[in-house]
Amino acid sequence: MADDQKPGGSEAAPPPGSEAAGQPAKPAPPKPAAAPPKPAAPPPPKPPAIMLATPWESDLARELKEAFGEAIGETSTYLGQNFIVAKPGSAIPILEYLKLESDFDYLVDVTAVDWPKRAERFDVVYILYSFSRNERVRVKIFIPDGYQPETAVGVHLTADWLEREVYDMFGIEFAGHPNMRRILMPDEWQGFPLRKDYGILQQDERWVQENLGIESGQ
Amino acid sequence: MRGLLNRIFLVDLFQGLWVTFRNQHPKYIYTEQYPAERPKVAERYRGAPRLNINPDNGETLCISCNLCALACPEALIVVTSERNEATKRKDLTTFTYDTSRCMFCGLCEDACPVDALELTQDFEMATYTREGQIWDRQMLEEGPKPTQYKC
Amino acid sequence: MPDSTFLDSTELVLNMGPQHPSTHGVLRIILKLDGEKVLGTECIIGYLHRGVEKIGENRTYAQFNPYVDRMDYVAAISNGLGYCLAVEKLLNVEAPPRAQCIRVILTELNRIASHLLWLGTHALDIGAITPVFYCLREREEALKIFEKYCGARLTTHAFRIGGLLYETYDGFEQEIRDFCAMFVPKVDEYEELLTNNRIWIGRLKDVGILSADECKEYGVTGPVLRAAGVKWDLRKAQPYSGYEKYDFEIPIRQNGDTYDRYIVRMEEMRQSVRIMQQAVEAIPEGPIMGKVGKVIKPPVGEAYVSIEAPKGELGYYVVSDGSTQPYRLRVRPPSFVNLQALDRMIRGGLVADVVAVVGTLDIVLGEIDR
Repeated sequence: MADDQKPGGSEAAPPPGSEAAGQPAKPAPPKPAAAPPKPAAPPPPKPPAIMLATPWESDLARELKEAFGEAIGETSTYLGQNFIVAKPGSAIPILEYLKLESDFDYLVDVTAVDWPKRAERFDVVYILYSFSRNERVRVKIFIPDGYQPETAVGVHLTADWLEREVYDMFGIEFAGHPNMRRILMPDEWQGFPLRKDYGILQQDERWVQENLGIESGQ
Repeated sequence: MRGLLNRIFLVDLFQGLWVTFRNQHPKYIYTEQYPAERPKVAERYRGAPRLNINPDNGETLCISCNLCALACPEALIVVTSERNEATKRKDLTTFTYDTSRCMFCGLCEDACPVDALELTQDFEMATYTREGQIWDRQMLEEGPKPTQYKC
Repeated sequence: MPDSTFLDSTELVLNMGPQHPSTHGVLRIILKLDGEKVLGTECIIGYLHRGVEKIGENRTYAQFNPYVDRMDYVAAISNGLGYCLAVEKLLNVEAPPRAQCIRVILTELNRIASHLLWLGTHALDIGAITPVFYCLREREEALKIFEKYCGARLTTHAFRIGGLLYETYDGFEQEIRDFCAMFVPKVDEYEELLTNNRIWIGRLKDVGILSADECKEYGVTGPVLRAAGVKWDLRKAQPYSGYEKYDFEIPIRQNGDTYDRYIVRMEEMRQSVRIMQQAVEAIPEGPIMGKVGKVIKPPVGEAYVSIEAPKGELGYYVVSDGSTQPYRLRVRPPSFVNLQALDRMIRGGLVADVVAVVGTLDIVLGEIDR
């Protein structure tokens, strides 16, 4: 019976130990689960620790480099997806240029990535799409903690909530945003949950006790 | 003109009423009389977990490899075992499965190399206490025994 | 007697939700009213925030797969497809043709199930009680197929990274064919109930208009964009999972009002049936799992992959640091972005229209709050 449920059964049954290698210890599981066995020796050919992106050669990349010169650090492509790394202050002019000159009229997403060990701690990523060209491009800026990038609301209205979410989760304040408040978490919440130094079980205990009337949310 | 007549004679209303009238036929009754008539769930249904035992000798099939506990996204399975010096194998001592946090994703079932842990077709798992949701080895081997209501 | 009482003030602030049946979950809207007229709105969201993105960073790639079903829980299969495609892109593998074909069938069936739930609840909000019974009856047939295929009805966990875990069951093809044959007359039946109904037209026509330019400005996608006259569907624009092989139309309408969005979704259900009918006749033989190791460890890199979910563009931006867990997993939920346009759509309308407009956006709060 179990066999016809799992036609890929032979692949589904892993050799013991192979899963263990890829299983880092969970951050404080609520129940003391049996400690994962020591990872087996890592496979010898170590994958490279940097992204193997190749330079992005196209008219658009050349145009942008001409228009912005030094402000564009890198135009690359990885897995067929193009991205631009820009100087922090020039993100909004680039978005504006892409919208007006190159028809990238749809801001798909604004998000951030936290790299606590890097000097410029956060990536802010703008994902753009052009309906007429059917093309996507990502604009990335690297900013240090505390830097306030300019808001994109003036260029794309959709950035309003997306930037509020970035602020809520990472604590990156966008200068000039009309309504820079938390969006998903309660307004009085302390801490920014998606930062890497914020534990998965961590909570604003004081807020929980005051507002929910319970000792702890766990 | 036609639109006006449609409005006067309430054509859209009668059209809709005709649809509801057609669906009045008793063969379109879909209600399941649940406690009296128990539904038949699909063969692959992922319900209450069960720890299978070998029907020949009544021993557990579990080899205490701990793969299910590692595969579980919620880390709700705890397996303990002790080494049997005679057979040089690990003997299962306890097996705890916290069904209150289980989301029935089936990853533990996929990970089991000997088909000992299985999600079965039982779906009546309600208990009166939270502690009752934490199943030990005996409960996992016997399965839940819900009260059956007849009418 | 004071010169003015509070009754002289023309503005009234009305709180709608979070416990309100027509906000489809726990959405809270603060309305500023002048009599019946809406002067402005503010949405308070986050009541269902569970930190899915944070959970993603703390689970392995395979372990996170069941969690994505819990974002847009009425279209769990679409969520799963998007996530699997994103990780497959990072791994630079592709699911085998047979797996892709079965994925398309199930995703389209899920699109129908999602639209049916939308239609039933939307009509219920407007005041038509009958459609919800019929819609849920047909949705039940779709859910039964899911249950038979993967063992769960709602939070399916149907796909795995690299392909599928479950082979189709005996009679799968026939059941899909039967469903398609049964379902098309049912769509006509819903249309008979609603499309020409004068109350339905009166409540929906010219309500919550969003033009094509406004849609692009707000990043609104899915049926809302198509009802405004933009012929854009990711299944056609950037085909994934073999959608380029199937012949289907993108239904569009021009006015961009609530009624047009209804028409577009009804037509989309018919097109989904067309896709399923073509796909089920052409399921190739072969393996269902691609070459993916047991431990999923994508190389260092990042990818953004998006699919056309029933609500709009659902995107996954995954950053890998070469370990077994995603370094960053961002979900671009369509409902979150679409809900932002709510203010523009109902400003100047009536209070009763708020319910119609919230319904027509087809939001799922599990996805908005994550």
